[in-house]
Amino acid sequence: MPSTDEELVARSQGGDLDSFNQLVLRWERPIYALAYRVIGREEDARDVAQETFLRAFRALKGFKGQAKFSSWLYRITLNLCRDWIRRERRTPVVQPPEGIDVIELAGETSPSESIEELVSRHELGRAVGKAMSQLPEEQRTAIILKEYHGLTFQEIADLLDCPLSTVKTRLYQGLSVLRKQLREAGVESTFGK
Amino acid sequence: MCDSKELLVGFLYDEIDPVSKRTFERHLATCSDCRFELAELGATREQIALWTPPDGDLGFRIVRGAEPAPTPPRFRFFSFSPAWGLAAAAVLMLAIGAAVANLDVRYGTEGLVVRTGWNHATDAQAAVTQVDWKAQAEQLDRRLRDLERSAPQRSAVQPVSASSAMSDAELLQRVRDLVSQSETRQQRAVAARLSELMREYDAQRRLDLATINQGMTRLQNTSGSTRDAVRQLIVRTALDTK
Repeated sequence: MPSTDEELVARSQGGDLDSFNQLVLRWERPIYALAYRVIGREEDARDVAQETFLRAFRALKGFKGQAKFSSWLYRITLNLCRDWIRRERRTPVVQPPEGIDVIELAGETSPSESIEELVSRHELGRAVGKAMSQLPEEQRTAIILKEYHGLTFQEIADLLDCPLSTVKTRLYQGLSVLRKQLREAGVESTFGK
Repeated sequence: MCDSKELLVGFLYDEIDPVSKRTFERHLATCSDCRFELAELGATREQIALWTPPDGDLGFRIVRGAEPAPTPPRFRFFSFSPAWGLAAAAVLMLAIGAAVANLDVRYGTEGLVVRTGWNHATDAQAAVTQVDWKAQAEQLDRRLRDLERSAPQRSAVQPVSASSAMSDAELLQRVRDLVSQSETRQQRAVAARLSELMREYDAQRRLDLATINQGMTRLQNTSGSTRDAVRQLIVRTALDTK
């Protein structure tokens, strides 16, 4: 039975480095994914993820468990992303791959999915990334936390320090803008149905 | 009801209390606009779910007391060869150039003259070398004559003039032998030095090629190297401050 985050945190605070590394292993991919979706650059997202764990480790003694460990990590990550955006003074740019390697993609194909469908799926992913990068930061962050990390409205509100109603409004506005942009990009709204 | 986007979003994400949910469901049954908007937003959610980040090679971990792993710069084309290596190679090439360039080997009646490098020995210097040989020959001649004078009875059977003529021939032969030995020694020394230089040059060239090859491989695998470096989170300072 794997240990819970709380148990690992407690052991880490007692000086058990292995326990903290288990937390890192458990959360590195969601944290990296969050950073990538917010700032849109792979290398920088990796740096942000690394810095997140470094800061978490340094501040671990001060973590009292008021929030979930994951929420605490998300907060650190979002702060770092915000710093990055401010420092770079630019909106996130999603860097799509130069081209789609069909052979490479073929390895990801499910038995029921053709190459055409696979390429279409990747093209759609790129279109979504581009549309997402054009959203205002607040809307983009709310959608990312909700759609890709499954946080509740309340958890998002706590993370972003805003009222619950604001979170819902940002989600609605963000989704509406995305729907419009994707339609303009030629993405069929019936895709996947 | 149609103006309550919060209710619609709550219903969309199924984060709505049961009473509000039933109320909204009743509304949906009669409002085509809300049904349409709900369907569209639902489709958009399906679309954005397909946006996945690239597979970053992570593997972060905290290492206690380890030295920080050097993070290679993204572009380090010129850093694969250390400065001292380049400097040594440059000096070696200069030495080879100076040794081989304008190599001037002369052999004549004055003996063997080897001149190398850009700064040729002057004629005066060459003359000094020749004078040495002459002085040596004259000294040898004097010694031979002294010996002959000190022991005239040993060569009584031979005429003095003949004895003197033979001494000159021997002297000449001796001088030629000395010159020949000197030539051989110098040729061997030059050949040995050239061979040594070529070996050093070849070894350095192989080392440089291997280093360049490694550097190119490293350059091609920059992302891989970066990934490897990023794998370790070193928090020595954090640990030290505890």
